[in-house]
Amino acid sequence: MILFRHEGAEIEALVTDRYLESLLLAGERGAADAPSDAVLPPALRRAARRLSIDLVRVHPSFRFEERLAARLAEAAAGMWSAEAAAGAGELVGSPSSPAAWRALPGASAAPTAAPTAIPAIPASSPVPLSRPLIVGGALTSAALSLAGAAYLAWRRSRSPVGPMARAARAAHAVRAAHAAPAGSPVPD
Amino acid sequence: MGRPVFRRVGAAVEARQHSRVAYLDRDRALVEAARRDPRRFDALYRKYLAQVYSYAYYELGDHHEAEDATERTFLQALAALPRFEERAAPADGEGASTFRVWLFQIARNAVANQHRGRRRHPELPLEAAAVIADPLDVEGRAAVRDEARAAWAAVGRLPADRRRALVLRFVEEMSTAEIAGVLGRSEGAVRVLIHRALRSVARDLETGGRR
Repeated sequence: MILFRHEGAEIEALVTDRYLESLLLAGERGAADAPSDAVLPPALRRAARRLSIDLVRVHPSFRFEERLAARLAEAAAGMWSAEAAAGAGELVGSPSSPAAWRALPGASAAPTAAPTAIPAIPASSPVPLSRPLIVGGALTSAALSLAGAAYLAWRRSRSPVGPMARAARAAHAVRAAHAAPAGSPVPD
Repeated sequence: MGRPVFRRVGAAVEARQHSRVAYLDRDRALVEAARRDPRRFDALYRKYLAQVYSYAYYELGDHHEAEDATERTFLQALAALPRFEERAAPADGEGASTFRVWLFQIARNAVANQHRGRRRHPELPLEAAAVIADPLDVEGRAAVRDEARAAWAAVGRLPADRRRALVLRFVEEMSTAEIAGVLGRSEGAVRVLIHRALRSVARDLETGGRR
């Protein structure tokens, strides 16, 4: 079998690699003797043993370790707060008119009548109408709940004026008068 | 309708790959924890500090410069952690850590930048560094063992790529596959590199540094 020169080098390198693997494993096990490989030249084995003993891992000073740890913790805290802010939502402008509400994607349930019933903030007010709002966070749901509550309050406070509404109110009053004990006030 | 089916097959393949990687990459739990909460990067930092520092020290031969390179390495690793991808393969061997390979790639770049930055200043050879500031010498800096000094000197005289491979093999106890990952070479090339480096050191030690 004829070996090319580079193939011979690769085989030698492979043998050396195997020897180093077993040498380092022996060191991990705490074995006193290094494995011997007759194929590997003795000078190479001696050099490998020397390096496995003398090339030691160097540890930095405790002061440096703690200083860098503190710096990393600071950087990590910054990343963490940035991620938390990004996870809460994005900043968008709050629509200031019903048309703007309807223009929002999926905003068909927007309280179209409410904005007209809520008293308008005077122009001199320092609070702008279209201030930024965090969408996706607790503030959004709270804001929508407030708008819903205002809308319901507006509907309840508005007395119905149609003939059907008047008839219904009269029927309700009669029922209440019959059900109430004698002497008690009759609701109108 | 074909798309969901395709997606399910893809998900199965991905899950299989993940389970294989989980078995191979011993740092996976720590990396995942640090990705969820960067404040938990500390565990990875404590685990690899000495290794990265050692590598930088053997490369630069100066404690202050090694500290600078170590600091840059970990800060960059923390910032780039969301982009880190596990690429462990069966050839990497049981317990192979792709995070460690990735971290050492960053360290290698940090050390290279450090080298570039000090071109104007004369380089401190590893031998001199060992004599001047051996941190392991408890008794005093003057009493560095002759044998260790000779070994350090022999390694210090090696060409940079051979020295690097030897340090990763003996000091960091990396496998050939891991060193190949760090140096961006094939495993065969790394084996040859280490073999030649060891032969040079052996010759150097036999002749007492005379060439």
